Amino acid sequence: MEEPRIGVYICHCGTNIAKMVDVEAVAAEVGKLPNVVLAKTYKYMCSDPGQELIIKDIRGHRLNRVIVAACSPRIHELTFRTAVEKAGINPYLFEMANIREQDSWVHTDRVEATAKAIDLVIAAIHRVRYHEPLAKRSVNVDPATLIIGGGISGMVAALEIANAGKKVYLIEKSDHLGGHVARFDLTFPHLSSAKQMIRPILQRVENHPNIDVFKKSVIKNVTGYIGNFKAVVENGVPDPLELTFGNIIAATGLKPFDPSKIEEYGYGKFPDVVTSMEFEEMLSAGKVMTRYGKEPRNIAIIHCVGSRSKKYHEYCSRTCCMVALKFVNQIRAGLPDCNIFEIYADMRAYGKGCEEFYAESTHRQIIFLMFDQQEKLPLIKEAERNDECNMLIELDEKLSGETVEIPADMVVLMVNMEAHEDVKEVVHAIGVSLCGNQFFIEKHPKLDPVATTTGGVYIVGTCQGPKDIPDSVAQARAAAARILATIAQGSVAVEVTTASVNEAMCCGCQTCIRVCPYSAVSYNEEKKSSEVNEVLCKGCGTCGSACPSGAISTKHFTDRQILAEIEGIMSMSYKEI
Amino acid sequence: MPPDSSNPKPKLKLAVYWGAACGGCCVSVLDTHEKLLDIVAAADLVFWPIAMDIKYKDVEAMPDKSIDVTLFNGAIRNSENKHIAQLLRSKTKILVAYGSCAYMGGIPGLANFTDREGIFRRVYEESESTLNPDKVRPQTETMVKEGKLEIPEMFNDVYTLNQVVDVDYFIPGCPPQSERLIEVFTAIATGAELPPKGSVVGANEKTNCDECKRKKSDNKVIKKFYRPWEIQDDKETCFLEQGVICMGPATRGGCGVRCVSGNSPCRGCYGPPATASDPGAKMMSAIGTMIDADTPEEIDKIIDTIVDPAGLFYRFSLPSSILGRKII
Repeated sequence: MEEPRIGVYICHCGTNIAKMVDVEAVAAEVGKLPNVVLAKTYKYMCSDPGQELIIKDIRGHRLNRVIVAACSPRIHELTFRTAVEKAGINPYLFEMANIREQDSWVHTDRVEATAKAIDLVIAAIHRVRYHEPLAKRSVNVDPATLIIGGGISGMVAALEIANAGKKVYLIEKSDHLGGHVARFDLTFPHLSSAKQMIRPILQRVENHPNIDVFKKSVIKNVTGYIGNFKAVVENGVPDPLELTFGNIIAATGLKPFDPSKIEEYGYGKFPDVVTSMEFEEMLSAGKVMTRYGKEPRNIAIIHCVGSRSKKYHEYCSRTCCMVALKFVNQIRAGLPDCNIFEIYADMRAYGKGCEEFYAESTHRQIIFLMFDQQEKLPLIKEAERNDECNMLIELDEKLSGETVEIPADMVVLMVNMEAHEDVKEVVHAIGVSLCGNQFFIEKHPKLDPVATTTGGVYIVGTCQGPKDIPDSVAQARAAAARILATIAQGSVAVEVTTASVNEAMCCGCQTCIRVCPYSAVSYNEEKKSSEVNEVLCKGCGTCGSACPSGAISTKHFTDRQILAEIEGIMSMSYKEI
Repeated sequence: MPPDSSNPKPKLKLAVYWGAACGGCCVSVLDTHEKLLDIVAAADLVFWPIAMDIKYKDVEAMPDKSIDVTLFNGAIRNSENKHIAQLLRSKTKILVAYGSCAYMGGIPGLANFTDREGIFRRVYEESESTLNPDKVRPQTETMVKEGKLEIPEMFNDVYTLNQVVDVDYFIPGCPPQSERLIEVFTAIATGAELPPKGSVVGANEKTNCDECKRKKSDNKVIKKFYRPWEIQDDKETCFLEQGVICMGPATRGGCGVRCVSGNSPCRGCYGPPATASDPGAKMMSAIGTMIDADTPEEIDKIIDTIVDPAGLFYRFSLPSSILGRKII
């Protein structure tokens, strides 16, 4: 190994770091350490002049290792790696010490925060000497895309990609495209027709030369990695079709919550207690009638059915409040004399035009009643013979503080939107994780909302969480754009910091096989050694820490590098144990 | 092969010493059986307390570097162990840490899970068979009418040999296999090219698990850990897959997989392969991935079935490990 010549740069981050950390003292202290050629501070290391400073010093002082002590590497590691690469150093000979999120932002004692910054930088100095140059790698991208789910999100994504001239395989498990939206009558907040909106999309998808639609089909045996996937389409025919494609979009949607679990609402017991989806179908058919074919004189709509509840689902389904308001507008238009009761827990009207829609809807002679769903749910009871309605709803009205009884001939339950049970099969096939509510997890909740931790796999629409049509469509188009970008590139960079097996040391115990979340590790019977598929590997390090023989190590996170970092951080403050 | 009488090469000078040891390592030298005769044909044993009556002052009188090879077994537990280690270092050309105790701390090294005070309290006050109302503790110096008596001072910590003196080679094992000793000795005696200083010799590069003949698969999914006597071993499936903790994958080969061949799991006496600095940590990490549980409570329940995890995973290696000792 060449003698390390380390340059250390301490960022002020304006005052973010400098106000709590004495950056000059840090530079002075670490500047004394062996192999540290220079230690400088600068106001904003990530700025162009900050990066220029590094590039100039690498050339002028023949630096071969660089450390920047600044913010989280999640924010600027790539920035600085790119900068050192410009100066001719392998980007992996760079190390970042986080003295903002892990130090200045979370401490209030300047002396101790400065001491901690010194420790963190020393840890980086110890580590960086064991860094090794790593080569970038890329794989070719198959231009075809597999889309699972033919709802609005899947169809929009399919059209976006197909219109760009690229092949799409659209897999739909039911016998028709369109998903839930095809069953809607009107949409909120403009009360425009869902059918008029979706019909042309359906036609374009069905007739598009670049889209192969597979209805009543499921996808099986997905193998491969970004750019190079393979799968089998199963649809009952004896010879299942094998497809190859470079990217996957999961647009598997969600399903309505089954309200029969909630005893108070008597769904299944009272024929005129219906779900919002069932009511939607009545509206679509233009027939809002009780089970006995009578026009209802009293309709109650109960919100948050299965939502925002510790017992069922804690999350908000996001769209039901507005759908309920859409219903009251439609009911009022069709049944001008009907009494309409909106039994809500909180009215959530965010979104473009939604608060205005709420305000307008309050002029439709609706009785709004609030309940506390954390305390007591409304109770639906059968009405007495001499009551002039089918059912009575007993309710602790929150705003008035009174217990009231509401007459109802029909009750609409605004049911929660929940993940499909069979989503686990899809998840297993495409290697995406689920959140606690069984929705797919995106790569980054803010900055990367349609990608997943598996390269080449994207999630769009309500399989990622409840959302309305505009949000679903935005995600679909975003994923399509991401995919078209990788197809346009022709190849895609894959993870460099992967695990590798020292075959000479592998004893074949196979502890590593099952621990891999990406199915990247396999056992080679012939070689009697485990192998890592470096394209599938994400460098998570799980196999490396599981390997009892030390035969697997993760590049850039070797035992030696991690131990050096620990030795560094323990070398100052904790000398005396 | 050792030189015969026609070889003018002078005989090697060989010393064998024990620090904190059980005597097994010295017996392993005797276990070379008739080959011991070859050894003494090639080497003069100049110091070997278990077999020969030579005093420390005789060793002190030897010129520096006059002993060719010293096999030092046992850990460094007290001031006598340390003194003789330093003495033999100065008198010896090639100092070998012989056996797991000298190499890694070994069984005596488990004392680093407690400290001197804890040991003295237990032994001289609390033990069921101790009658010591005056709570007398060992004194390094005692005046009697004939004069001052001295015994070595017991250290708070147990050390490996190379934590006290510079060591040339390490031969692992509890005890080392006699065949391996003969191989190493023969290499030195015949003047073969020796490996770089600091090497582990008399052992393989790869692990015991690699040599093991049992059937291995990825089916390492454990709901309950068993001690060997708690299961009906099928004699052919990997111990780990039967829920019995075996140190084989984190342990250097060289013993000939003797324990597993005797249907007993590997305990790790040969120490880690070069790629695994801390076999206890490596093995715990590996075992952690095998636990088949859905909830933290279930994980705890399964881990509770591991009897004495510290003593199990660090049975031979505590003083040489990253932990070193328990902080008390």
